[in-house]
Amino acid sequence: MVELLLLSRLQFAITVAFHFLFVPLTLGLALLVAGMETMYYKNKDETWRKMADFWGRVFKINFAVGLVTGLAMTFQFGTNWGAYAEFMGDVFGPPLAVEALLAFFLEGTFFGAWIFLDRNRQKLKAFSMWMVALGTNISSLWIIIANGFMQHPVGYKMAADGSKVVMTDFFALLTNSYVWYMLIHTLFSAYLLTAFLIMGICAYHFLKRNNNEVFRKSFRIAVTIALVTSVILPVLGHGYAQYVAELQPAKGAAMDAIWETGSRVPMYLIQVPDSSTGSNSVQLLEIPGLSSFLYTGSFSGTIKGLNQLPRDELPPVGMVFWSFRLMTILGSLFIIEALLGLYLQKSGKLYTSDKYLKLLIWSIPLPYIAITAGWIVAEAGRQPWLVYGLLKTANGISSVPTSDVLLSIVLISTFYLILMVFEIYLMKKTVVNAIGVE
Amino acid sequence: MFDFLTHNMLAVIWFFLWCVIWGVYFIVDSFSLGAGLLTPFIATDKVQKMQIQRAVGPFWGGNEVWLVLAAGGTFAAFPLVFSKMFTFLYLPMMLLLIGLIARGISVEYLHKDDNPQIQKAFMWGWFAGSLLVSLVLGVAFANFFKGLEIASGGVYNGTFIGLFSPYALIGGILFVLMSVTSGALWINVKTEGAIAAKAGSLAKKSTLIVLVLALVYLAYSFVGIEGFTTNYSATPALYLLPVLAVMATVLAVFFAKKEKGFQAFCSNLLAFLFAVQTGLASIYPYMLKSSVSPEYGIDIFEAASSHMTLSIMLGGALVFVPIVIIYQLWAYTLFKEKIKETEQVDY
Repeated sequence: MVELLLLSRLQFAITVAFHFLFVPLTLGLALLVAGMETMYYKNKDETWRKMADFWGRVFKINFAVGLVTGLAMTFQFGTNWGAYAEFMGDVFGPPLAVEALLAFFLEGTFFGAWIFLDRNRQKLKAFSMWMVALGTNISSLWIIIANGFMQHPVGYKMAADGSKVVMTDFFALLTNSYVWYMLIHTLFSAYLLTAFLIMGICAYHFLKRNNNEVFRKSFRIAVTIALVTSVILPVLGHGYAQYVAELQPAKGAAMDAIWETGSRVPMYLIQVPDSSTGSNSVQLLEIPGLSSFLYTGSFSGTIKGLNQLPRDELPPVGMVFWSFRLMTILGSLFIIEALLGLYLQKSGKLYTSDKYLKLLIWSIPLPYIAITAGWIVAEAGRQPWLVYGLLKTANGISSVPTSDVLLSIVLISTFYLILMVFEIYLMKKTVVNAIGVE
Repeated sequence: MFDFLTHNMLAVIWFFLWCVIWGVYFIVDSFSLGAGLLTPFIATDKVQKMQIQRAVGPFWGGNEVWLVLAAGGTFAAFPLVFSKMFTFLYLPMMLLLIGLIARGISVEYLHKDDNPQIQKAFMWGWFAGSLLVSLVLGVAFANFFKGLEIASGGVYNGTFIGLFSPYALIGGILFVLMSVTSGALWINVKTEGAIAAKAGSLAKKSTLIVLVLALVYLAYSFVGIEGFTTNYSATPALYLLPVLAVMATVLAVFFAKKEKGFQAFCSNLLAFLFAVQTGLASIYPYMLKSSVSPEYGIDIFEAASSHMTLSIMLGGALVFVPIVIIYQLWAYTLFKEKIKETEQVDY
């Protein structure tokens, strides 16, 4: 049973992580490419056309993978999380079906139209891309509505026999406060990731002394987005974290590894939590009262510590703590890089600042890491609950032969690895040869 | 919402919608699956491959969403069926998933790179993915019609190998061949030149084979499958479904022979639609029929979601499904020209 649970979780983690490698970029790029297509339609400037061609190609390569790998999660709710599906279907099924109805059809239908419409039907082409962008962004709303219920169940009652949840208020699912915190945070981090990828690719061409107008213009747009999103994200994130700490005290306390309940809780710049002893094995550089202030808005505020919560309801503290630290440190780095980029670009030194350009190339993976870390905080921090306070993860799995799950993990992982190789190969070729630009 | 409908009535309506959504998925995806199955064998050069790719490229993605809606709709309206269907058929579902991903990626990446080896790999990926999807779905649905080995207490005793009975194999092969026919006729209608002619002459043969196989399958269903005729005896009007299926199959043969591609294409789609409904009509009120004993099956009333969920979903479907159909049909009008051999654009 333990192996089955672990394998089921591992398989879901693999499929969701792989899927989400491609989704954030498409959330941002869809909007940008739609904008480029529209600008080209409006003023027939060839630079906009080339930008739409080049970034559109990058979009296509990623979107294709994102589109088809999304199926893997829907399937696994049934194959591996059957008990969960039966428990949650009444509430969880509708957002998924509505997502298909409102978002996937738009994406799927207009993605095909956008690709195959040629430039003498530019107006329709631009319109199609807007529909794709609308679809992708709506899709994130509905999947987060579904996820929001797992984090903060609302608008439901338990069935008379206690075997499942029953919806009582669909509207409450949509107005779930958790959903809106999470949605905005997710979308902004996706836009930030897009901006950094564009900046990184432009930097590669600036380093090769290819100062094509396409890349200069793209960089100007991206650096602005990077600055706005990187500044807004910590502000949003702070509000979100405070809210989560109230909603799910264990997750909140795990984010900063706060073991003991108290007021004026300090923050340690260097800290190593140790779950086995229920304390930090290292804590250095204390800032008095900072944690209290961040969690409650007052330096003397009280935070409930992990040791005061039931032992069997604690998430993996180290995992949540380190992921949270990683995300916030990277977040700070993004602000610095964006500010620096804007300064260099305004002062005209950008194209010769080789060190900064190299830094940007190396920074391409960082938002991916930050986003994954953020998801680990949100989802691992919810453990041991699958649906917060209602259903434990261990009780959500299907009873299928362990060997079947093992086989499917091997199949899927191998298959995804092959996909990844092709994807990277095509991306690299597109980016290095600047297809559509030269 | 829909308070004038009882819970059981809503469950029946949703079973009907469930059949319709699956039916729509099967027919709209059949021609892109068929095109994938045919490309390695009928396209002789890059020009012809691109003609085929352009014939299905704009549509396959939007069409596949009907499958996602079928899965999502099952989850929302009949959670118990969703859970059991995927759990019982664990390995087939994983194969279906891999087939769907392989097909999707291959169509999109087919000509993204000019290396002929890589193009060849994606062409075969498209073929293998399409084969896996159509075969697994054909075998799975044949098993749904025949009944799964569900014993008392909802215990599933079936094995992976056990799914491949002669009946299921015929179902799988029929599914593949109907998709091939659909693909051949679509290529015939949507393209010009040598490839259109080749696809047209292939359809002449495949419609005939489909007719023979469909008759065998139909006879097998009504004679050899336990419980298949129960609903038909109770409601003889249902016999209209298999009659229409056979008529449409005959018409497809006729039109293909007369080289009326479009009419043959439509007839084949109708045949496909009515064939699937013939099977689904036999299992009602069960969604997962038990081959052990009828009472062990999972029926729609037991599996249905709450009144509220079913009515919200019904409202959503009544408003948005027509909108989806309208813009999908509109997308077909955007690309109504036949694809010529001279057009060489890279996608």
